[in-house]
Amino acid sequence: MTRYCMVIDQRRCIGCGSCTVACRTWNELPLDIVYNPVIGEGVQGKWPNVHRNWLPTLCMHCEKAPCVPCCPTGASQKDPDGTVWIEYDKCMACLACVNACPYGMRDQSKLQPRLHRFVRKCTFCRAKRELDPDAQPYCVLTCHQKARIFGDLDDPNSEVSKLVNSVETFRLQEDMGTEPQIYFIPDLGGVRQQ
Amino acid sequence: MRHHYWEWPIPTYLFLGGLGGGIYCLIAILTLFVYPGIDIVPEVLAWPGFVSILCLGFGCLMLVIDLGQPMVFYRAFVKSTSVLAWGARLLTICMIFGLLWFASYIPWDWFSGIAGFLTPLRPLCLAIAGIAGTCIMLYTGIFLSTLKAHAFWATPALPVLFTVSALSTACAAITLSVGWWPASFDPHNIMSASLYVASVEAVHEILHVVDIVLVACEIVVLLVMVLSFLGAGNKTANKVAHKWVHGSYAPFFWGGMMVIGLGLPELMYIFLPGVASSVVAPILVLCGGLLLRFMVVNSDERAPLPGEERYYEKLPSTDAEFIHKWTYGENIY
Repeated sequence: MTRYCMVIDQRRCIGCGSCTVACRTWNELPLDIVYNPVIGEGVQGKWPNVHRNWLPTLCMHCEKAPCVPCCPTGASQKDPDGTVWIEYDKCMACLACVNACPYGMRDQSKLQPRLHRFVRKCTFCRAKRELDPDAQPYCVLTCHQKARIFGDLDDPNSEVSKLVNSVETFRLQEDMGTEPQIYFIPDLGGVRQQ
Repeated sequence: MRHHYWEWPIPTYLFLGGLGGGIYCLIAILTLFVYPGIDIVPEVLAWPGFVSILCLGFGCLMLVIDLGQPMVFYRAFVKSTSVLAWGARLLTICMIFGLLWFASYIPWDWFSGIAGFLTPLRPLCLAIAGIAGTCIMLYTGIFLSTLKAHAFWATPALPVLFTVSALSTACAAITLSVGWWPASFDPHNIMSASLYVASVEAVHEILHVVDIVLVACEIVVLLVMVLSFLGAGNKTANKVAHKWVHGSYAPFFWGGMMVIGLGLPELMYIFLPGVASSVVAPILVLCGGLLLRFMVVNSDERAPLPGEERYYEKLPSTDAEFIHKWTYGENIY
């Protein structure tokens, strides 16, 4: 069975933010919404042993997504392939899911008309994949460093499966018990998320 | 870090929901268990029941006006698994059966047919409204505590605190409103007048004692919750507890909550009979309950991702508004 996930190689990311721009452009996001911010703690260490790493983020498409059961209208959903998405017509923007997300990856745009706001989030470009099941999300296609790798974790021949099973990876805030489906390959000089 | 997603209508809704539910819980206990068979007691408690319906209705209004797409609100009754959806259903049940119970006491002549039809159903309506009201009190705290992303909310102490606070504010609201219309007595009939006065006094007396206990419990639960986070909470909860105890929220916590909202009314209840304990203290308890909801809802910090705070601090805050105006509200990208 298909189970989509993304592997993000921190060793390759240079923090250019092109994935953020590609996502915003293709998904026509309002100006106050960012699906995949590339965050970083700045320069770490003491000269000459300094390093800097980047943490490209997005919705973690958690296996046990806390944003799905808390939705009172059924707008927040999870596909069998693991994609967590929102059916905008059903969303009443109560913000329960926004408050349930431990990663802060959901929000509503304050620039939308007051009575036509809904919660938005990354969907691994679900609309695009509905047309072509092999399609890759725009952030993955845009990344010239190939730091973002997307694929089926249950397919043993997929690149993500090989990486997750061969390289040391970590996931963000695993103590929350949400089982996020975004795996990070840590930067060699970087500081790992505790 | 982005937070404070919920604005003032949500804490107001949580306060009014808990208050309204608590009032029906107490009315049901007083009528069905404490003074069963005494007709004048539910009659003097009818107006507090109406106050409860107003609170629940206004609370629902607060919830709806906070929504981004209010017209989709009906869908909250369709899906069953969410805590918020159960809250919406319980609020509706409590309001409907509470209204039916109150309607049976309306003394208008033209309404006597409906009131007469509802009179035999009073115990059933009150029992259902009381059970739904109890669940609403529990729900307001459970709703927040299930959102585990926020360390300060994810504690079993929060539903306990909200339930005790809801009962305490309900005691205060009933004390302020007991004995009003539609309860009445015949001024020429000494028996009727003394029965009315005695039942109002009895309700006042029992709620007075109950509220002393509840306010004391609330002080203990609140201190245990905040100080345990201060001593043993995780990093995020600890940060919030520091804000409450000696940070920017300290004047509201110590001055507003502990002194004006809880300590002072407790002392008034115990040592100052008369207007101070029957009017001033209940008003202070109500203000304390509202302040508690605002402080808790605004303490919605979550553990930030590494570098997240730095990222959102660097984002331009005014450009978006400028570009939005410049493009006449259309997303041209």
